[in-house]
Amino acid sequence: MQKIPLLLAEPDMVLARDIYRDDNANGPPICGRGVALTDSLIERLKRMGVQTISVEGHPVRMDGDKNLEEILSALERRFKKAGNDPLTGRLKEIYRAHYMKSFGEYGGREES
Amino acid sequence: MEEKRAEIRSIIMNTSSLPTLPGIISKLNALSENDKTSVQEMARLVSSDQVLSARILKLANSPSYGFYKVSTISNAMILLGVNVVKSLALSSSIFEIMEKNSLGLWEHSLGAGVAANIIARRLKLPECEEISTAALLHDIGKVIIRLNFGDDYQKLLELIRKKEITILDAELELLGMDHTEVGAWLVKSWFLPDKLIEPISCHHNVAAASSHQVKASVVHFADILIKTSGFGFSGDDFVPIIQPVAWETLGMTEPILAEIVEEMEDKLVDTKNFSLEIQTVDEE
Repeated sequence: MQKIPLLLAEPDMVLARDIYRDDNANGPPICGRGVALTDSLIERLKRMGVQTISVEGHPVRMDGDKNLEEILSALERRFKKAGNDPLTGRLKEIYRAHYMKSFGEYGGREES
Repeated sequence: MEEKRAEIRSIIMNTSSLPTLPGIISKLNALSENDKTSVQEMARLVSSDQVLSARILKLANSPSYGFYKVSTISNAMILLGVNVVKSLALSSSIFEIMEKNSLGLWEHSLGAGVAANIIARRLKLPECEEISTAALLHDIGKVIIRLNFGDDYQKLLELIRKKEITILDAELELLGMDHTEVGAWLVKSWFLPDKLIEPISCHHNVAAASSHQVKASVVHFADILIKTSGFGFSGDDFVPIIQPVAWETLGMTEPILAEIVEEMEDKLVDTKNFSLEIQTVDEE
């Protein structure tokens, strides 16, 4: 999941989180998670003053962002001292799976 | 070497070297010891010190507690409990120092609070706010150690880090004591309850905990999770081994852990924003 400025939003990106109105954060969402963005939806969000949104995957390459390979190797380095410890190893695997999922295809679109 | 260590111990654990705490703290302590004192009276006392109140509210609004907007000290006391507010009051000056001098550590601590909060809620543990607070405070010993040794200490640590040992091992090698001992001593000197002291003291050695092994286990996990995520910087980059006693005490399972990780990674985005916002406010 990636939090991006609305300016960088593009059609087919899928919302990872509900978007709420600023003036009614406890009310119903303007737009729910799982919704795929379209040009008109993006326009509407702009008009409503929404500044940032969270989208599935990692579709935007921002300054300083690491790619999946870098992230996975950083993960390996961190677990160096844990060695072959079984419990800690499970945590590492959970994180590997998490990173791979979050860097997966955005938009949830199947390749045809 | 033993003498040197004893000397170091006496330097570190010297209350007069601590950052000055406002006089209000001892008054607060006295008030809270007295059963007849109402929450409102305590809130009024704390609110009378604007700087302190601001610091407490800043911490109370951190993602570690997950409350939407705590705007007054009374609210903080009701939502978080008196123990938590007292802890935040006492540690606020240390957090200020942490934020200024060890931003990485500050973020690590915030993140640990968030992780602990998530773990405690997932496992439906009682006293979630106190657990979050213990996690927030778990590394304050490092600030005290650093305060007393400044640059020399930093240089030596760098060298030892190059040998690729953990900060815990470096502390033990250099000083004959570690940050858990120093942190526990500090919160004990503030008369904070055992349920906050033990998790701080035992987060690297859960088996040593007695009455509060559950809380210590949560802080242990929170520390490990936040180090795995790479959020903040606690002095070294190595994920500690998950102690089986912590795993068993909490009844942890892989699926639950995976859910906790998902939730935590999600909340860390907010936590980063929180940390950035807070810094901007302080610069003004």
